[in-house]
Amino acid sequence: MNARIRAVFDDAGARGWLHAISLDRPEDSVELDADVVVPIASVYKLPLLAGFCRLVDTGELDPCEQLTLSPESRIPGPTGLSILADPVTMSLRDLAVTMMTVSDNASADALLNKVGPDRLAELLQSFGLEHTRVRRGAAGNLVELVRRTGASDPDAAFAVLADNDQTDPAGVYDAANLSAGSARDMTLLLREVWGGGLLSEGQTAFVRRSMEQQVFTQRIAAGFPHDGVRIAGKTGTFGALRHEVAVVTLPGGDAYAVAVFTHAARGDRRLPRVDAAIGEAARLAVDHLR
Amino acid sequence: MLTERYLQIFVALADEQHFGDAARVIGITQPPLSQGLRRLEALVGAKLFERGPGQVELTPAGKALLPHARRALNAIDEFHHAASAQDPEGVEIRLGLAPEVPASVGAAVAAACSAAVRGSRVSVISAPTSSLVQQVSAGRLGLAAVLHPAVLDGLEAGPVTLMSTWALVPTALYPDDGAALPLGKLQGLPIAVRPRAEAPAARDLFLDTLALHRPGGGTVIVTDERAGLAMAAAGQAIVVTPDPSLAAAGVGRHPLIDDPLPVRLRLVWPQSRTPNALPAEVMAQLSQALETP
Repeated sequence: MNARIRAVFDDAGARGWLHAISLDRPEDSVELDADVVVPIASVYKLPLLAGFCRLVDTGELDPCEQLTLSPESRIPGPTGLSILADPVTMSLRDLAVTMMTVSDNASADALLNKVGPDRLAELLQSFGLEHTRVRRGAAGNLVELVRRTGASDPDAAFAVLADNDQTDPAGVYDAANLSAGSARDMTLLLREVWGGGLLSEGQTAFVRRSMEQQVFTQRIAAGFPHDGVRIAGKTGTFGALRHEVAVVTLPGGDAYAVAVFTHAARGDRRLPRVDAAIGEAARLAVDHLR
Repeated sequence: MLTERYLQIFVALADEQHFGDAARVIGITQPPLSQGLRRLEALVGAKLFERGPGQVELTPAGKALLPHARRALNAIDEFHHAASAQDPEGVEIRLGLAPEVPASVGAAVAAACSAAVRGSRVSVISAPTSSLVQQVSAGRLGLAAVLHPAVLDGLEAGPVTLMSTWALVPTALYPDDGAALPLGKLQGLPIAVRPRAEAPAARDLFLDTLALHRPGGGTVIVTDERAGLAMAAAGQAIVVTPDPSLAAAGVGRHPLIDDPLPVRLRLVWPQSRTPNALPAEVMAQLSQALETP
């Protein structure tokens, strides 16, 4: 099985890491370097959401608290509030929905500030996620990327990563500098959330719903082209990194947690073959576990 | 007698849980794999795997022995490395060259290897990028010049060197006047490309760039540049090459305007903790040889 999954990534021109489990029988797993700590890009928004929901459960945060984000304080990004022109006032829980469904960076940074990186680290530790580190939000990552590439602004920095004619600047994909985690940690988190052991019933449902409403379907969902299969996922993309972690629920109700991380050889912003390979690898893993 | 191959079969089957996959990992076919497993089990006196339909699973005995097999294999690897370091005839530098590396450039890198490490013996192989990367990872090669972009997990790599390419066009299609041509004008014949599996990322980048500038122009798969040149001479294909010496009667050489299809090359080598790794300053010297042969 590993050789087949590896061949899918090889063919797409990407390095891949994968962990998949059956939620009913978590001892059944498919693993490809599942304990390697990889920069997880926007997949960090999932542990952040879990931490936020826990603080809602404990009453430390009010999900209905209104927050106003002004355009000048919002960080750049390709989607969500990041691309709007005027001040936006939203509740914390709506920021969470925006963060999960369209991977909005501005909402995520606002939530991370509310939760606090230190408090989040303690929560993740208490969840049993030993390899997951949320170091800073997207704003901090962009500053770091601009510094390492020697570029003048984030757009120019991403252009450096996308250029196939030059070497990646040292450290830009180094797990030690970025929010990072292992594939096994991510399926553990999904399993704990889906099992209802981590959060209240209401918050569990909130996480599941926000992940089912994710708009991106070109990765894991693309591996299951049947409306009867439900996908609740969170993607992550940063330069040559393309990831998704998801719970795949088959028509009969059997559910599987899958985490797929990839690092493409090419720098191009659009690599549909790698997106498709993530779906294909997830599909192979789930079929093996059925 | 217990052999290295039996241990490889044991570990690969435990990792892959599938006879076909395990055979592929080791690079053998399924019958010798099954036979090797049977012999190993006879030797051990216990069944190591339960064979189910399409799948195998470790028995308790297999589980108990697996860590020992892994340790033994690692020790054998270390022995191979240490043995080659003791070679009285001096350090052996094993260099791999991707077929896209022009002959003169490959020669310059090999010469630089010999010059950089006194008393070294240099041996050279040619193989596709995907195979070279694997061989460097496995420690069977000291360094290799490969196509970029390629997946280089855990390997060290030098800067990306760009080599301009020419189009070799049958004179029947275009007069042999040496004129620079836009890629979009190379119509009427397919462009010869080597098999995609040799270097999926680099080949896809080539094909995607080709499709952008020259939609619908078509390609034809050739096994090597020799075949490509022969097809061009026969008026059947256009060759895109960084090799300044490739020539044949009836085939004209044209620069491509804006150089849209450069060959991107890179030296790769194992991380420094690997036994027999060449020092970093030597690698910098060799990267230089690739850049300005």
